[in-house]
Amino acid sequence: MASNKKYWKSVDELTDESGALEALSQKEFVEEIPTDQFLGNKEALESSSTSRRDFLKFVGFSTAAATVASCQGPVVKSIPYVVKPEDVLPGEANYYATAIADGHDFANILVKVREGRPIKIEANKDVNGQTNARVQASVLSLYDSNRLKGAYAGGKKIAWDAFNKAVIADLDAANTAGKQIVLLTGTCASPTNGKLFQAFIAKYPTAKHIVVDTISESGMLDAMEAAYGDRALPSYDFSKAKTIVSFGADFLGDWQGGGNQASYAKGRDAKSGKMSQHHQFEANMSLTGANADYRYPTKPSEQMATLVSLYNKVTGSNLPTKKTAHDATLAKLAAKLKNGGLVVVGANDANAQQIALAINKVIASPALDVVNTRNIRKGNDATVKQLLADMKAGKVGAVVTNNINPSYSLVGYADAVKNVATTVAVSLHKDETATTAKYVAGSHHYLESWSDVAMNKATVSIMQPVIKPLFDTKQFQDLLLAWTGDATNYYNYLKTNVNLGAKSWNQTVHDGFASLTIIQSENTEETPVIDLTAAAQALAAQKAGKYELTLYSSIGMGDGKQANNPWLQEFTDPITRIAWDNYLTVSAKDAKALGFSNPIQDNGAIDGNYANVTVNGVTVKAPVFVQPGQAEGTIGLAFGYGRKAGIKDAMAIGVNAYQLYFDNKDIQNATIEKTSGNHQFACVQMQNTIAGRTGVFRETVLAQYLEDKNKAGEPEWNERPKFSLDHQEVEAEKADLWTSFDRSIGHHFNLSIDLTSCTGCGACVIACQAENNVPVVGKDEVRKSRDMQWLRIDRYYSSVIKTQEEGFEEGLSRGELYAKLEEVATDNPQVAFQPLMCQHCNHAPCETVCPVAATSHGRQGQNMMAYNRCVGTRYCANNCPYRVRRFNWFRYNLNEDFDFNMNDDYGRMVLNPDVVVRSRGVMEKCSMCIQKTQATILKAKKENRKVEANEFETACSAACSTGAMQFGDVNNEKDAVATLAEDKRAYHLLDFVGTKPNVVYQSKIRNIDNA
Amino acid sequence: MKQTNKRTFSAFKLVTFALAFIFALQIQAQGDPAKGKALFNANCAACHKMDKKLVGPALKGVTEKREAAWLKSWIKDSQALVKSGDADAKAIFDEYKIPMTAYPNFSDADLDDVIAYLANPKAASKKKAAAGGMPENVKKGKSVFNANCAACHKLDGKLVGPALRNISEKRDKAWLHKWIKDSQALIKSGDADAKAIFDEYKIPMTSFPNLSDEDIDAVLAYTSYVAPKKTNTAGAAKQDVVEHKTDLNPRKTNLPIWILLGLIVAALVFKRTKLKPLAVVLLPIILLLGAWVTYEYLMQVGVDQGYQPIQPIMYSHKIHAGDNGIDCNYCHSSAKDSKTSGIPSLNVCMNCHKNITEVAEDTHVGAMGKKELDKELGKLFDHVEAGTPIKWKRIHRLPDFVYFNHSQHVSVQGVACQKCHGPIQEMDEVFQHEPLTMKWCVDCHRTTDVKMDNKYYEDIHKELSKKYNKKSFTEADMGGLECAKCHY
Repeated sequence: MASNKKYWKSVDELTDESGALEALSQKEFVEEIPTDQFLGNKEALESSSTSRRDFLKFVGFSTAAATVASCQGPVVKSIPYVVKPEDVLPGEANYYATAIADGHDFANILVKVREGRPIKIEANKDVNGQTNARVQASVLSLYDSNRLKGAYAGGKKIAWDAFNKAVIADLDAANTAGKQIVLLTGTCASPTNGKLFQAFIAKYPTAKHIVVDTISESGMLDAMEAAYGDRALPSYDFSKAKTIVSFGADFLGDWQGGGNQASYAKGRDAKSGKMSQHHQFEANMSLTGANADYRYPTKPSEQMATLVSLYNKVTGSNLPTKKTAHDATLAKLAAKLKNGGLVVVGANDANAQQIALAINKVIASPALDVVNTRNIRKGNDATVKQLLADMKAGKVGAVVTNNINPSYSLVGYADAVKNVATTVAVSLHKDETATTAKYVAGSHHYLESWSDVAMNKATVSIMQPVIKPLFDTKQFQDLLLAWTGDATNYYNYLKTNVNLGAKSWNQTVHDGFASLTIIQSENTEETPVIDLTAAAQALAAQKAGKYELTLYSSIGMGDGKQANNPWLQEFTDPITRIAWDNYLTVSAKDAKALGFSNPIQDNGAIDGNYANVTVNGVTVKAPVFVQPGQAEGTIGLAFGYGRKAGIKDAMAIGVNAYQLYFDNKDIQNATIEKTSGNHQFACVQMQNTIAGRTGVFRETVLAQYLEDKNKAGEPEWNERPKFSLDHQEVEAEKADLWTSFDRSIGHHFNLSIDLTSCTGCGACVIACQAENNVPVVGKDEVRKSRDMQWLRIDRYYSSVIKTQEEGFEEGLSRGELYAKLEEVATDNPQVAFQPLMCQHCNHAPCETVCPVAATSHGRQGQNMMAYNRCVGTRYCANNCPYRVRRFNWFRYNLNEDFDFNMNDDYGRMVLNPDVVVRSRGVMEKCSMCIQKTQATILKAKKENRKVEANEFETACSAACSTGAMQFGDVNNEKDAVATLAEDKRAYHLLDFVGTKPNVVYQSKIRNIDNA
Repeated sequence: MKQTNKRTFSAFKLVTFALAFIFALQIQAQGDPAKGKALFNANCAACHKMDKKLVGPALKGVTEKREAAWLKSWIKDSQALVKSGDADAKAIFDEYKIPMTAYPNFSDADLDDVIAYLANPKAASKKKAAAGGMPENVKKGKSVFNANCAACHKLDGKLVGPALRNISEKRDKAWLHKWIKDSQALIKSGDADAKAIFDEYKIPMTSFPNLSDEDIDAVLAYTSYVAPKKTNTAGAAKQDVVEHKTDLNPRKTNLPIWILLGLIVAALVFKRTKLKPLAVVLLPIILLLGAWVTYEYLMQVGVDQGYQPIQPIMYSHKIHAGDNGIDCNYCHSSAKDSKTSGIPSLNVCMNCHKNITEVAEDTHVGAMGKKELDKELGKLFDHVEAGTPIKWKRIHRLPDFVYFNHSQHVSVQGVACQKCHGPIQEMDEVFQHEPLTMKWCVDCHRTTDVKMDNKYYEDIHKELSKKYNKKSFTEADMGGLECAKCHY
C-alpha cells in the first residue's frame, strides 16, 4: 500500500516544470531577506546625504536616548470595581451556558468570561453542543467596532424613544392604508419569538412574519411537509448508518444547518470495526467529499439522474431517468443501503429531496429521524417569491428586517424594496440593507441578548447575555414589544412565555437547555401519497448545462454574516488552503480547455486568471482556481464574500455569489469565459513544505487494519523506520545521540490526532487563535507565508500509482507513469487532512540551535518558548523539520498597518489575559496550551485532589467535535491518550528524524472494499 | 469542661483576691499600657471599643467604675462570676445578654497590662494627645459624650442626629437640658424648635434621664471647647504629602560615578603633566570601574525596588493590617482563589467605613494628624457618593510576559504575603520591598521546599522520594525553573 501511494499538496508537485517547488523545499524561508532593496540600489545609497559618521552619531545618540528613556517605568494604575459583582473573581474565568442562533449557525455553547468580557466559545457538551470555526470565531464579532451604535432615521442618529415613535407612526400609516407590514427575519427557531410575532400581528392586522434563509433549504422543508406533514428539517444520526450515500450534500459543512461532525465520526470507529462506508457524488470538492471513502465527481444534473436510478434500483420501480456513468455502481450501493443506510441530497430542490426521503423510507434508514425534527431552517422560497412580487406591485407598506441582509443576499430584493415606503433595518452593521433603509436600529449581538432557541423538538435552549451591551443598541424583540405597545421588556416576556417543560427557569439558564417531550401530531397515521413520478419527471426535465455552477457555503465564511471577522477571513479553506478570497473552482480538464492556470511563484504564492461567469444574463468576474477532483463541466463559487457596506475595507473582498442565486437554487447553468487580469491568491498550500521528506501520512483500508489489529509486530502500513546501531537493526527512535530524560514521574503530556476521524473542519484552528492571542496578518502577509497560525491543517491529495517496475512491464516510461498519475490526481484524488502544530519533540532540533536558550524543554513534555528571551535569530525555525514555528515579522498589535482586531480598542477585549501578546522580532509556536494545563493542575491543588483522568485539555482538543484530538497525561493510564500513544495505528511524524515528538498521529483508515 | 472551669475558678479566686489587694493601688505602675494595647487589639477589640458600645460596653473609664480584682476575674471567666452571684456581673450580663468570651489563658501580667491600658490609653501612644490639655469638666464631658451621644452624633457633620459643635450657642441651656432628658416630652409640650428638629430627623432621640445636670453641662462644655492652636503640624503635613519618596532606587549611591569621573579628570590632568605614566596606570582602573558602573547601572534598569508612588488616598496599611490586625485576605480576598490578589472594591471598604467615618483622635501618619487623615478618608466617601473607582497607582507589577498566580503561592503553598511584599503591616505607605527580578523569584524557588501535604502531590512525592531517597524537594526540583512555567 504505502509503497505505491504518492502524496502531494499541489498538482504542480507532480510536474514541476519550473523547478520552483524543488527550490522551495530546500529553502529556509520562502522569502529572502530583501537586503538588495536597500543595499543593491547604488544610486540611492550615493545620493543619500547621511554620511557614515552621521549614521554612527545617530545610532549612538538613539542608543543612549533609549537607555535613558527606559530607566523610568511608566505609572500603571490599578482600578478596582466600585461595587464588585458577587460572582466575579478577578483573574478567574466564569463559564455561562448560552446558545448561538444567528439564522445560519445554531449551537449550544459555553462562553468563557473573564472580568465580564467573553473571550472564548466552547461547546456545551451536556447537550451535544458542537462548534464549528464560525461559532468559535463569533466571540470576536461581538467586539466589532464597525457595529451600529444607536438608532438612525433618514441617516441621522436619533434617540430610541423618538425612533420608536416614528416607526410606530409609519407602521400605523401602513396598517391604515391596508398595506402589508412584513417582518422579514432569518430563521429564529424561538417559540417565544413566535408568540411575540403573533402579538405584533394582532396590533397590526396587515402584518405578517416571513422567514427568509440566506441559504435556503426550502426544498427539504417542502418535501418533509408533503411526506410527513411537518415543515421542518429531519434529524440525522450518521453514527447509525452503515452506508452513507450523498448526492452533493456537504453534511460535514453547512448542509441543512450542519452539526453532523460528531455523529459521523462516531459511526467511523475503525477499532471496533463498525465503520460506515461513505459514498459521495458531487461536483465541487467539498469537505464531505474529501472525507468520503468513495467519491464520484458528478455534474449536478447527472447527480439527479443517478439519484432517481438509485431509487429505481432500491425499489425495483421504473421512474423516468437518464443513463449515467454510475449505473454499474448503483446496484452494489442499493444492496448495501438496504442493510442500514442513509441517502442525503444537497440540492435545494423539493423533488430531489422527495426521492431521497422515499429511498430512506423504503430502506428504513436507522439514521433518519422525522419525529424529533429540527427547526433551524424555516424559509419558504414560494413565500419569498410572492413577497418580492407584492413589494414590486406596491402592496407592501413596510418591511422590517432583522439580522439579515437581503439587499446583499436575495436576488431582486434591492429593486423591489424601492417600492416600499417604510423600511426598518434592525442590524449589527450598516450593511447593504441598512444603507438604503429609512430607519436603522443597531441590534444586540447574540452574546448580549435574551432568547429561547428550539433547535429541535426535544430541547429548548436559553440564550442569555454574557456581557452588558457594548453599544447603544436594542434587541429586536424589545423593539417589537415597544411597537406593539407592550411595556414589559423581552426578558420578562420570555420568562413568562417560555415553555421549559418540567425544568425551572434558573436551572435552565444555568444548564443552557431544557428537555421537552415531543407531542406527536394526531394525523401522522395517514401517510400522504406522493407522486414520485412527477418528481422524477421534473428532475429529468431539468436541462443540463455545458457548465453547471454549484454555489456553496464555505467552511470559513458560511453565509457571510461574519464577513467583518478577521479570524474567519484569515481562516484558510480546508480544501483549497486559500484565505481572504472566494474564487471559481474548475476542473483541470476544463482549465486546460479554457486556458486557466495557477502558476506558483518562487515564494510559494499562487496566482490565477480571471473569468467571467454568466447566469441568467448576470455576469460576475472572479478569479479561477483549478481544483483537483472538481467534476468536469462544473464550476463552484462560495457564498459570503463580496460584502461592501458597513465593514472594514480589508474585509470587503471577493465577489458576491448571491447575485447568481436565482430562485434560491444553488445549482445554476452558467457560461464561463476567460478574461484579462492576474489575481494573487493568499494560498498557503505550497508554503511550509517539509523539505521534500515523505512518509508524513500513513493510511490503510479497514479490512487490512482489522486483519493486522491483533497480530503481533508492526503492520506493513505503519512500519517504523530502522537504523543500524552497533551493527544491529533498531527502530530509528531508539538510535539516539542523547540519553533520555526520565519522564515517568509527574505529568507527561501527549496529544493524539486521529487522522480517520479528523474531518478537517478547522474549528481547532480558530479555537487556537482565540485561546492563544494569535494575530491576524492580512492577505498580503499570508501570501508571503507569514501567517501566524500555530495550528494548521495540511491537506494532502493522494492516489495509487503503479510502481516503476509494474510500469516498465507494461511498457510505460517514467514520464508516462507520472502523466498518468497526474491525470488520476486531477480527476479524482483521495484527500487527507493532517492537523499540524508544534510536535513538542523530546529531542527537539530547535532547542539545540537556539543561541540564547530561549526555547527549552519541560519535563512535562512541552517544548517551551520564552518570548522575552528570544532575540529572533530564527535558527529554530530553520532547524524545525515540521515547519511549525512562526516569526513575528512585525508588531501586529496597535499597528495601523495591521488594522485588525488587535489594532482596535474593542477587538483587543477578546484577548486572553493569561497569554502574552507577542512583540515584533520573536519566534512563537504552539505551547500545548501550557496555560490550560497549568490551570488544571492548580485547580486540582486548590481542591486538594489529584488531577482526574481526561481532565487536561488544550484549546484544539476541546474544540474538536469528532474526538479526533485527544490530549492528556500518558503517565496516567486512565487517560485516553495513554492507550492511544501505544496504539497499533500510532506513529510519530517523520519518525526517522529521531525527534521523539509528544504529538502522536493515528493512521488513517479508509473503508474501501477492494484494496 | 464546665467542671474544670469551676475548679479553676475557686482556686483562681483566692489568688486573684490576694493579688488584687497587693496591686489595687498600683495598677498603672504594675502594667505596661503599650503591651496592654496590643493585647486589647488582639483580643478585646472585636467586641469592645474604648469610647463606644459595640457588642460589649465601652471600656473607657472602666477602671474607675470597677475594681481591678473584679475586672480580672471577670475577664478570665465572666460566666463563673455571674454564676457566683456577683450583682454587678449579673447586671452586666442582663444588660448585654451575650456572655463575654472567657480568657483563662491570660496571665496576671497580661491582665495588668490590659487594665493599665484601660486606665490610661494615652500612655500607650508615644505622642501626647491634645486631650491632655483639656480642662477637667471638658474631659468629663468628652467621656460622657463618647459613652452616650457618639453613637448618633458627631461634633462636626451629621450622623443620625445633627452636628453638635457649639450647640449651646444655638440653643438655650435650659432647653437643651430638657431636650436631652426627654426630647419626646418636649415635643409633646408643643415646643416649636423641638418639633422642627423632630420633623427634620424623623427618628426620636433616646432620652437620657439618668444624666445629671452636671453631666449635661460637661457635655455642653465639651461641645463648645476649642483646643488651643497647635503650631507647625498642618504646614509640615502638607509638605510631607508633596515630598513622598519617589526615588526608584534609594539604595544606589552615585559615589562610584563620582570616583570614576574624578579618575578620568585625574588621568587627563596627569596626561598633560609630567605624571604621564600615572595616567597609563589609571587607564585600566578607569576601564574596569567604567565597565562595573555601566553593568550596575544596566542591571537596575526596570527594577523598581523601593518604588513608593503617591497614592490618590493616603491609605495606611499600618493602621489597617498592623494596628487593627485586619487579615490581608479580608480586603485582598481573591489572593487565595485567583491569579490576582485583587484590590478591594469600594463596597469592601464601606463594610467597615460605613460605621467608621473618622479616624481615632490620636491617629498619626507621619506628620499627618486627625484633621488631614479625616480629609483623606473623606475622599473615599466622595468616591462612593460619585460612584467612581479609586485609581490607585500600581506598585508591584510584573511584566506582561510573566505569569504569576497568587493562589498557587497563598493557598497551595501557604506563603505569607510578607515574603514577597515585605512588612506591609508596618508600612503606612506601601513601597516595593523586594526587587521582583527573575533572579529573586528563582532564588526562592531554588531554596524553598515545596509543601507536599496536598493530595495532588501524594503520588508524585512518593515516587520522587523513592527515586532520590529524600523527603523534601525544592520548587526547582519539581520543575519550577522551567521557562514556560512562568512565561507563556
